[in-house]
Amino acid sequence: MYILSETDLSADLTPLDEAWRRPESFVLLPDKSGVSREWLGHALGEVPRELDHDHFGLLTSGSTGQPKLIIGSRDRAKSLAAVLHRLQLSEPVRQTVLLLPLSYTYAFVNQWVWATVHKRTLVPTHGLSDPEGVEAALQTATDAMLCLVGAQVPMLARYFSDRSFPGVLRVHFAGGRFPQERLDVVRSLFPRAMIFSNYGCAEAMPRLTLRRAEDSDDPNDIGKPLPGVALKNGADGELLFQSPYGAVGFVGAEAFQAIGPDKWAGTGDLAEPTPSGTWRLSGRSREVFKRYGEKISLSLLMSTVSGAWKNNALFYREKDRAGEEGHVLLLAPAPSETEVRAILKGFRANHARVLWPLRIESVDSFPLLPNGKVDVLTASTLPGRTVHWYQRI
Amino acid sequence: MTNLEKLRELVIDVFLLDPAEFRFDLTREEVDTWDSLALVSLAVGIKSTFGYHPTPAEAMSIHSVRDVIRILSEKGVRFEE
Repeated sequence: MYILSETDLSADLTPLDEAWRRPESFVLLPDKSGVSREWLGHALGEVPRELDHDHFGLLTSGSTGQPKLIIGSRDRAKSLAAVLHRLQLSEPVRQTVLLLPLSYTYAFVNQWVWATVHKRTLVPTHGLSDPEGVEAALQTATDAMLCLVGAQVPMLARYFSDRSFPGVLRVHFAGGRFPQERLDVVRSLFPRAMIFSNYGCAEAMPRLTLRRAEDSDDPNDIGKPLPGVALKNGADGELLFQSPYGAVGFVGAEAFQAIGPDKWAGTGDLAEPTPSGTWRLSGRSREVFKRYGEKISLSLLMSTVSGAWKNNALFYREKDRAGEEGHVLLLAPAPSETEVRAILKGFRANHARVLWPLRIESVDSFPLLPNGKVDVLTASTLPGRTVHWYQRI
Repeated sequence: MTNLEKLRELVIDVFLLDPAEFRFDLTREEVDTWDSLALVSLAVGIKSTFGYHPTPAEAMSIHSVRDVIRILSEKGVRFEE
């Protein structure tokens, strides 16, 4: 298995096209992975020799923040791209504009593999760090598909508030909370687009469920499983899956762990089935904790925040003065006093005090990871945070 | 800002009241957010606002905004209408 650097693909994707055609397996190393070559060398040494051909590797930080090398099967990825093409009614789509790093499982499978399998054009950009470049790509887009993460919506709204891009036919969201409350913005920007919520995880390589935006008002409703995908709850409520498209294994902190056909793999999310056959997320496994004996789901609290605040928001964990686990609400950009009051009113109306955040803070904007997700760790330590409200405990 | 105004602001903030809900004769029974954590928060707020930290017994005896005024008045804090 050899290493292909995303940095080498910035100007020309030909090396990736060639790597996909060659039988040898490869790893696509992110531009800014933070993963040492030493760790990667060790991880590659753990991958069984039978995966040396017809596979590929991607890196993810996973739910633990520690690097994880995920090994996928090219045949499975191609099958998934074909299934998504059918379910997402993608036949009229002629091109896909890349606003996320290619080494992100979402962009790699939903866009690059899809474009390769279905012989569509992939239009690379430098992402929203280069809004002018993105605008140019979107303005000239014809029958195009986008893959976005929810955190990009406020930035799109900021940069292109008075624009619309009718050349975009499909807009997909994945990799975080579906921006149900900002669909008006998405529809304004992309008036001809069907909007989909895609759910999955890197180990699923990466899709498990799908729904059209208008099929639910609930941002936590992730829709129904893809054909062939089975979902169930683990003993602790974690959403587990079996998928014919999933990764074949991974290397994390320990040796290579195969994900066999009979193994139920964890998503790291808590979820419950609904009577209509869809699944509803109720939080991340690690985002549910107890505070003074009360169970707290930060996902549930975020739903309350979203009712009063339409910009960026996240929770980070912090202990209070008594040493009890707590959480801080961080917003971006700074809210008005009226908006803070509206958020607090939502907490008062819906949650016992023990569930309220220790503080409400703001920063100008959230730092993003290369994959477009919010860098929660950095955000929680940014200097110059403004405190708008705090509990005196 | 007078001490009454400071107290009003503190109580509104601790209990997440709408300003229109506030009264100086407001009692615990009338405030849905008045719980044990609120009492701790109120005590810490009294300390940071008025410089006196109610003893546990005093904190336990707070059943209304008037009780806060009573405790602080006994410590020399003046609340002039």
